[in-house]
Amino acid sequence: MRDGLAALAIVFVPISLLSFGGSNAIIADIEHQTVAVHHWMTGREFADFFALSRAAPGPGSMLTALIGWRVAGFAGALVATIGYYVPAAVLVYFLARLWGRWRGRPWHDAIERGLAPVAAGLLLAAGIAILRASPGGWPIWAAAFAATALLLRWPKLPPTALIAAGGALFGIVAAVTQ
Amino acid sequence: MTPPAHEPPTVLTIFLAMLRLGCTSFGGGSAGWLYRDIVLRRGWVDNATFLQILAVGQALPGANGIKATVQIGHHLRGGLGATAALVGLLSGPFVIILIVGAAYRGIGEHPLVQAVLDGMAAAAIGLTFDTGLRSAWHGKPGIPALAVTAATVVCIGFLNWPMAPVVLVLAPLSIALAFRERRDA
Repeated sequence: MRDGLAALAIVFVPISLLSFGGSNAIIADIEHQTVAVHHWMTGREFADFFALSRAAPGPGSMLTALIGWRVAGFAGALVATIGYYVPAAVLVYFLARLWGRWRGRPWHDAIERGLAPVAAGLLLAAGIAILRASPGGWPIWAAAFAATALLLRWPKLPPTALIAAGGALFGIVAAVTQ
Repeated sequence: MTPPAHEPPTVLTIFLAMLRLGCTSFGGGSAGWLYRDIVLRRGWVDNATFLQILAVGQALPGANGIKATVQIGHHLRGGLGATAALVGLLSGPFVIILIVGAAYRGIGEHPLVQAVLDGMAAAAIGLTFDTGLRSAWHGKPGIPALAVTAATVVCIGFLNWPMAPVVLVLAPLSIALAFRERRDA
Protein backbone atom coordinates (compact mmCIF):
# COMPACT_ATOMS: atom_id res chain seq x y z
CA MET A 1 0.00 0.00 0.00
CA ARG A 2 2.74 2.44 1.00
CA ASP A 3 4.73 1.43 -2.10
CA GLY A 4 1.64 2.10 -4.20
CA LEU A 5 1.21 5.58 -2.72
CA ALA A 6 4.86 6.45 -3.26
CA ALA A 7 4.71 5.18 -6.84
CA LEU A 8 1.60 7.29 -7.49
CA ALA A 9 3.37 10.40 -6.22
CA ILE A 10 6.47 9.62 -8.28
CA VAL A 11 4.32 9.24 -11.41
CA PHE A 12 2.02 12.24 -10.97
CA VAL A 13 4.26 15.01 -9.57
CA PRO A 14 6.58 15.21 -12.63
CA ILE A 15 3.57 14.90 -14.94
CA SER A 16 1.98 17.85 -13.13
CA LEU A 17 5.00 20.05 -13.75
CA LEU A 18 5.20 19.08 -17.43
CA SER A 19 1.50 19.43 -18.25
CA PHE A 20 1.86 22.19 -20.84
CA GLY A 21 -1.41 22.16 -22.72
CA GLY A 22 -3.51 21.12 -19.72
CA SER A 23 -4.97 17.91 -18.32
CA ASN A 24 -5.56 16.25 -21.67
CA ALA A 25 -2.03 16.81 -22.94
CA ILE A 26 -0.52 14.40 -20.42
CA ILE A 27 -2.87 11.48 -20.99
CA ALA A 28 -0.49 9.63 -23.33
CA ASP A 29 2.15 9.58 -20.62
CA ILE A 30 -0.34 8.63 -17.89
CA GLU A 31 -1.53 5.75 -20.09
CA HIS A 32 2.05 4.62 -20.70
CA GLN A 33 2.96 4.78 -17.00
CA THR A 34 -0.18 3.14 -15.61
CA VAL A 35 -0.65 0.38 -18.20
CA ALA A 36 2.78 -0.51 -19.66
CA VAL A 37 5.23 0.52 -16.91
CA HIS A 38 3.40 -0.14 -13.63
CA HIS A 39 0.71 -2.62 -14.82
CA TRP A 40 -1.83 -0.92 -12.55
CA MET A 41 -4.66 -1.64 -15.01
CA THR A 42 -5.51 -2.96 -18.47
CA GLY A 43 -5.84 -0.78 -21.55
CA ARG A 44 -9.55 -1.48 -21.41
CA GLU A 45 -9.87 -0.08 -17.89
CA PHE A 46 -7.77 2.94 -18.82
CA ALA A 47 -9.99 3.78 -21.79
CA ASP A 48 -13.07 3.32 -19.56
CA PHE A 49 -11.61 5.59 -16.87
CA PHE A 50 -10.84 8.19 -19.49
CA ALA A 51 -14.43 8.10 -20.77
CA LEU A 52 -15.88 8.32 -17.24
CA SER A 53 -13.63 11.20 -16.23
CA ARG A 54 -14.57 13.18 -19.33
CA ALA A 55 -18.27 12.66 -18.68
CA ALA A 56 -18.07 13.65 -14.99
CA PRO A 57 -18.02 17.31 -13.90
CA GLY A 58 -14.89 19.15 -12.90
CA PRO A 59 -11.81 20.95 -14.08
CA GLY A 60 -9.76 19.12 -16.68
CA SER A 61 -10.17 15.57 -15.59
CA MET A 62 -10.38 13.55 -12.44
CA LEU A 63 -8.77 10.66 -14.31
CA THR A 64 -5.89 10.86 -11.84
CA ALA A 65 -8.25 10.29 -8.88
CA LEU A 66 -9.72 7.19 -10.55
CA ILE A 67 -6.26 5.77 -11.21
CA GLY A 68 -5.14 6.44 -7.64
CA TRP A 69 -8.31 4.85 -6.30
CA ARG A 70 -7.74 1.76 -8.47
CA VAL A 71 -4.15 1.42 -7.19
CA ALA A 72 -4.55 2.13 -3.48
CA GLY A 73 -8.16 2.95 -2.60
CA PHE A 74 -9.21 6.26 -1.08
CA ALA A 75 -5.67 7.17 0.06
CA GLY A 76 -4.43 6.46 -3.47
CA ALA A 77 -7.10 8.73 -4.97
CA LEU A 78 -6.07 11.50 -2.57
CA VAL A 79 -2.33 11.10 -3.25
CA ALA A 80 -2.79 11.00 -7.05
CA THR A 81 -5.08 14.05 -7.02
CA ILE A 82 -2.82 16.11 -4.76
CA GLY A 83 0.29 14.91 -6.61
CA TYR A 84 -1.19 15.94 -9.92
CA TYR A 85 -2.98 19.22 -9.09
CA VAL A 86 -0.96 20.82 -6.29
CA PRO A 87 2.56 21.16 -7.79
CA ALA A 88 1.26 23.00 -10.89
CA ALA A 89 -0.99 25.13 -8.65
CA VAL A 90 1.93 26.10 -6.39
CA LEU A 91 4.03 26.92 -9.44
CA VAL A 92 1.37 29.19 -10.92
CA TYR A 93 0.83 30.82 -7.51
CA PHE A 94 4.46 31.90 -7.27
CA LEU A 95 5.28 32.47 -10.95
CA ALA A 96 2.11 34.13 -12.27
CA ARG A 97 2.84 37.67 -11.12
CA LEU A 98 6.50 37.37 -12.05
CA TRP A 99 5.57 36.08 -15.48
CA GLY A 100 3.07 38.91 -16.00
CA ARG A 101 5.77 41.46 -15.17
CA TRP A 102 8.03 40.09 -17.92
CA ARG A 103 5.38 40.56 -20.61
CA GLY A 104 6.81 42.23 -23.71
CA ARG A 105 10.34 40.87 -23.38
CA PRO A 106 11.40 38.96 -26.53
CA TRP A 107 12.08 35.66 -24.76
CA HIS A 108 8.74 35.85 -22.92
CA ASP A 109 6.94 35.84 -26.24
CA ALA A 110 9.24 33.12 -27.64
CA ILE A 111 8.52 30.82 -24.67
CA GLU A 112 4.75 31.21 -25.08
CA ARG A 113 4.88 30.64 -28.84
CA GLY A 114 7.46 27.87 -28.56
CA LEU A 115 5.43 25.84 -26.07
CA ALA A 116 2.26 25.94 -28.18
CA PRO A 117 3.33 23.37 -30.86
CA VAL A 118 4.53 20.96 -28.16
CA ALA A 119 1.20 21.30 -26.33
CA ALA A 120 -0.70 20.67 -29.58
CA GLY A 121 1.41 17.56 -30.25
CA LEU A 122 0.77 16.27 -26.73
CA LEU A 123 -3.00 16.61 -27.21
CA LEU A 124 -2.94 14.68 -30.49
CA ALA A 125 -0.69 12.04 -28.93
CA ALA A 126 -3.21 11.72 -26.07
CA GLY A 127 -6.01 10.76 -28.45
CA ILE A 128 -3.78 8.27 -30.25
CA ALA A 129 -2.61 6.70 -26.98
CA ILE A 130 -6.17 6.07 -25.78
CA LEU A 131 -7.20 4.63 -29.15
CA ARG A 132 -4.21 2.28 -29.05
CA ALA A 133 -4.93 1.27 -25.44
CA SER A 134 -8.60 0.57 -26.08
CA PRO A 135 -9.51 -2.93 -27.25
CA GLY A 136 -12.61 -1.45 -28.94
CA GLY A 137 -11.20 -2.10 -32.44
CA TRP A 138 -12.06 -0.23 -35.63
CA PRO A 139 -15.50 1.04 -34.53
CA ILE A 140 -13.97 3.19 -31.81
CA TRP A 141 -11.34 4.57 -34.22
CA ALA A 142 -14.04 5.37 -36.79
CA ALA A 143 -16.28 6.99 -34.18
CA ALA A 144 -13.40 9.05 -32.78
CA PHE A 145 -12.52 10.40 -36.23
CA ALA A 146 -16.20 11.05 -36.98
CA ALA A 147 -16.53 12.98 -33.70
CA THR A 148 -13.42 14.99 -34.60
CA ALA A 149 -14.89 15.84 -38.01
CA LEU A 150 -18.20 16.89 -36.42
CA LEU A 151 -16.39 19.18 -33.97
CA LEU A 152 -14.22 20.73 -36.65
CA ARG A 153 -17.34 21.47 -38.69
CA TRP A 154 -19.53 22.55 -35.73
CA PRO A 155 -17.24 23.87 -32.97
CA LYS A 156 -20.15 24.78 -30.68
CA LEU A 157 -21.36 21.21 -30.19
CA PRO A 158 -21.66 20.78 -26.41
CA PRO A 159 -19.01 18.26 -25.24
CA THR A 160 -21.28 16.50 -22.74
CA ALA A 161 -24.00 16.00 -25.36
CA LEU A 162 -21.45 14.56 -27.80
CA ILE A 163 -20.15 12.11 -25.15
CA ALA A 164 -23.71 11.07 -24.29
CA ALA A 165 -24.53 10.61 -28.00
CA GLY A 166 -21.42 8.44 -28.48
CA GLY A 167 -22.38 6.25 -25.53
CA ALA A 168 -26.00 5.95 -26.69
CA LEU A 169 -24.99 5.05 -30.26
CA PHE A 170 -22.60 2.29 -29.19
CA GLY A 171 -25.07 1.04 -26.56
CA ILE A 172 -27.91 0.76 -29.08
CA VAL A 173 -25.72 -0.98 -31.66
CA ALA A 174 -24.53 -3.47 -29.02
CA ALA A 175 -28.07 -4.13 -27.79
CA VAL A 176 -29.37 -4.71 -31.33
CA THR A 177 -26.53 -6.95 -32.48
CA GLN A 178 -26.29 -9.07 -29.34
CA MET B 1 -4.10 44.01 -12.12
CA THR B 2 -6.75 46.32 -10.76
CA PRO B 3 -7.89 45.56 -7.20
CA PRO B 4 -11.52 44.48 -6.75
CA ALA B 5 -13.83 47.51 -6.74
CA HIS B 6 -15.68 46.60 -3.54
CA GLU B 7 -14.98 44.47 -0.49
CA PRO B 8 -13.78 41.08 -1.84
CA PRO B 9 -15.76 37.95 -0.93
CA THR B 10 -14.75 36.05 2.21
CA VAL B 11 -12.61 32.93 2.03
CA LEU B 12 -15.67 30.80 2.84
CA THR B 13 -17.68 32.45 0.05
CA ILE B 14 -14.85 31.78 -2.40
CA PHE B 15 -14.72 28.14 -1.31
CA LEU B 16 -18.49 27.68 -1.69
CA ALA B 17 -18.58 29.40 -5.09
CA MET B 18 -15.80 27.17 -6.41
CA LEU B 19 -17.39 24.07 -4.86
CA ARG B 20 -20.60 24.82 -6.74
CA LEU B 21 -18.70 25.58 -9.94
CA GLY B 22 -16.68 22.35 -9.71
CA CYS B 23 -19.81 20.23 -9.38
CA THR B 24 -21.67 21.91 -12.23
CA SER B 25 -18.96 22.44 -14.87
CA PHE B 26 -19.32 19.60 -17.34
CA GLY B 27 -17.34 18.84 -20.46
CA GLY B 28 -14.01 20.42 -19.55
CA GLY B 29 -13.23 23.96 -20.65
CA SER B 30 -13.27 25.20 -17.04
CA ALA B 31 -11.92 28.59 -18.12
CA GLY B 32 -15.24 29.29 -19.85
CA TRP B 33 -17.23 28.20 -16.79
CA LEU B 34 -15.07 30.37 -14.54
CA TYR B 35 -15.59 33.35 -16.83
CA ARG B 36 -19.38 33.01 -16.83
CA ASP B 37 -19.61 32.54 -13.07
CA ILE B 38 -16.84 34.68 -11.56
CA VAL B 39 -16.71 37.53 -14.09
CA LEU B 40 -20.21 37.77 -15.58
CA ARG B 41 -22.45 36.52 -12.78
CA ARG B 42 -20.64 37.50 -9.58
CA GLY B 43 -18.43 40.31 -10.87
CA TRP B 44 -15.59 39.36 -8.51
CA VAL B 45 -12.97 39.87 -11.19
CA ASP B 46 -13.22 42.31 -14.11
CA ASN B 47 -12.89 41.31 -17.73
CA ALA B 48 -9.36 42.65 -18.26
CA THR B 49 -8.01 40.99 -15.13
CA PHE B 50 -9.53 37.67 -16.13
CA LEU B 51 -7.98 37.79 -19.61
CA GLN B 52 -4.66 38.71 -18.06
CA ILE B 53 -4.95 35.75 -15.66
CA LEU B 54 -5.58 33.37 -18.58
CA ALA B 55 -2.70 34.82 -20.62
CA VAL B 56 -0.24 34.56 -17.76
CA GLY B 57 -1.11 30.90 -17.25
CA GLN B 58 -0.35 29.98 -20.85
CA ALA B 59 3.37 29.45 -20.40
CA LEU B 60 2.95 27.47 -17.17
CA PRO B 61 2.04 23.79 -16.83
CA GLY B 62 -1.34 22.68 -15.51
CA ALA B 63 -5.01 22.70 -16.48
CA ASN B 64 -6.23 26.16 -17.53
CA GLY B 65 -9.14 26.05 -15.09
CA ILE B 66 -6.83 25.22 -12.18
CA LYS B 67 -4.33 27.94 -13.05
CA ALA B 68 -7.09 30.52 -13.38
CA THR B 69 -8.75 29.36 -10.14
CA VAL B 70 -5.55 29.71 -8.13
CA GLN B 71 -4.93 33.18 -9.53
CA ILE B 72 -8.52 34.34 -8.96
CA GLY B 73 -8.42 33.12 -5.35
CA HIS B 74 -5.11 34.84 -4.84
CA HIS B 75 -6.36 38.05 -6.42
CA LEU B 76 -9.37 38.11 -4.08
CA ARG B 77 -7.95 36.91 -0.75
CA GLY B 78 -4.23 36.14 -1.05
CA GLY B 79 -2.79 32.74 -0.22
CA LEU B 80 -5.78 31.63 1.81
CA GLY B 81 -8.11 32.64 -1.01
CA ALA B 82 -6.06 30.67 -3.54
CA THR B 83 -6.12 27.58 -1.29
CA ALA B 84 -9.87 27.87 -0.66
CA ALA B 85 -10.56 28.29 -4.37
CA LEU B 86 -8.44 25.28 -5.36
CA VAL B 87 -9.78 22.96 -2.65
CA GLY B 88 -13.33 24.15 -3.36
CA LEU B 89 -13.03 23.50 -7.09
CA LEU B 90 -11.51 20.03 -6.70
CA SER B 91 -13.39 18.50 -3.76
CA GLY B 92 -16.82 18.15 -5.41
CA PRO B 93 -15.56 16.46 -8.61
CA PHE B 94 -13.25 14.29 -6.46
CA VAL B 95 -16.16 12.84 -4.49
CA ILE B 96 -18.31 12.47 -7.61
CA ILE B 97 -15.64 10.60 -9.56
CA LEU B 98 -15.15 8.14 -6.68
CA ILE B 99 -18.89 7.41 -6.69
CA VAL B 100 -18.70 6.93 -10.47
CA GLY B 101 -15.69 4.65 -9.97
CA ALA B 102 -17.55 2.56 -7.40
CA ALA B 103 -20.49 2.17 -9.79
CA TYR B 104 -18.04 1.14 -12.54
CA ARG B 105 -16.57 -1.53 -10.29
CA GLY B 106 -20.06 -2.99 -9.92
CA ILE B 107 -21.24 -2.98 -13.53
CA GLY B 108 -18.15 -2.22 -15.66
CA GLU B 109 -17.77 -5.81 -16.86
CA HIS B 110 -21.23 -5.95 -18.43
CA PRO B 111 -20.93 -6.05 -22.26
CA LEU B 112 -23.56 -3.35 -22.74
CA VAL B 113 -21.81 -1.05 -20.27
CA GLN B 114 -18.53 -1.67 -22.07
CA ALA B 115 -20.12 -0.73 -25.40
CA VAL B 116 -21.53 2.49 -23.93
CA LEU B 117 -18.12 3.35 -22.43
CA ASP B 118 -16.46 2.70 -25.82
CA GLY B 119 -18.82 5.16 -27.48
CA MET B 120 -18.23 7.74 -24.74
CA ALA B 121 -14.46 7.28 -25.04
CA ALA B 122 -14.62 7.70 -28.83
CA ALA B 123 -16.50 11.01 -28.48
CA ALA B 124 -14.10 12.20 -25.76
CA ILE B 125 -11.12 11.29 -27.98
CA GLY B 126 -12.76 13.35 -30.73
CA LEU B 127 -12.86 16.32 -28.32
CA THR B 128 -9.16 15.87 -27.60
CA PHE B 129 -8.25 15.60 -31.31
CA ASP B 130 -10.33 18.69 -32.06
CA THR B 131 -8.52 20.75 -29.42
CA GLY B 132 -5.16 19.40 -30.60
CA LEU B 133 -5.81 20.20 -34.27
CA ARG B 134 -7.12 23.67 -33.44
CA SER B 135 -4.10 24.49 -31.29
CA ALA B 136 -1.74 23.04 -33.93
CA TRP B 137 -3.21 25.46 -36.52
CA HIS B 138 -3.62 28.40 -34.15
CA GLY B 139 -1.71 31.52 -35.23
CA LYS B 140 -0.80 30.23 -38.71
CA PRO B 141 2.27 28.19 -37.70
CA GLY B 142 5.29 27.87 -39.99
CA ILE B 143 7.01 24.63 -41.04
CA PRO B 144 9.25 24.54 -37.90
CA ALA B 145 6.28 24.72 -35.53
CA LEU B 146 4.38 22.04 -37.46
CA ALA B 147 7.51 19.85 -37.42
CA VAL B 148 7.70 20.19 -33.63
CA THR B 149 4.02 19.18 -33.32
CA ALA B 150 4.59 16.19 -35.63
CA ALA B 151 7.72 15.12 -33.74
CA THR B 152 5.82 15.27 -30.43
CA VAL B 153 3.00 13.13 -31.87
CA VAL B 154 5.40 10.52 -33.26
CA CYS B 155 7.64 10.26 -30.16
CA ILE B 156 4.82 10.07 -27.60
CA GLY B 157 1.79 8.84 -29.53
CA PHE B 158 3.46 6.15 -31.67
CA LEU B 159 6.89 5.35 -30.22
CA ASN B 160 5.55 5.44 -26.64
CA TRP B 161 8.54 7.38 -25.39
CA PRO B 162 8.12 8.84 -21.91
CA MET B 163 6.91 12.44 -21.93
CA ALA B 164 9.54 14.05 -19.68
CA PRO B 165 12.64 13.64 -21.90
CA VAL B 166 10.68 14.35 -25.08
CA VAL B 167 9.23 17.61 -23.70
CA LEU B 168 12.53 18.61 -22.11
CA VAL B 169 14.25 18.30 -25.52
CA LEU B 170 11.50 19.54 -27.87
CA ALA B 171 10.26 22.48 -25.75
CA PRO B 172 13.62 24.31 -25.58
CA LEU B 173 14.19 23.54 -29.28
CA SER B 174 10.77 24.93 -30.18
CA ILE B 175 11.33 28.03 -28.01
CA ALA B 176 14.70 28.62 -29.73
CA LEU B 177 12.99 28.31 -33.15
CA ALA B 178 10.30 30.79 -32.08
CA PHE B 179 12.98 33.18 -30.81
CA ARG B 180 14.94 33.00 -34.07
CA GLU B 181 11.78 33.44 -36.14
CA ARG B 182 10.95 36.59 -34.18
CA ARG B 183 14.46 38.00 -34.58
CA ASP B 184 14.39 37.35 -38.34
CA ALA B 185 10.96 38.90 -38.73
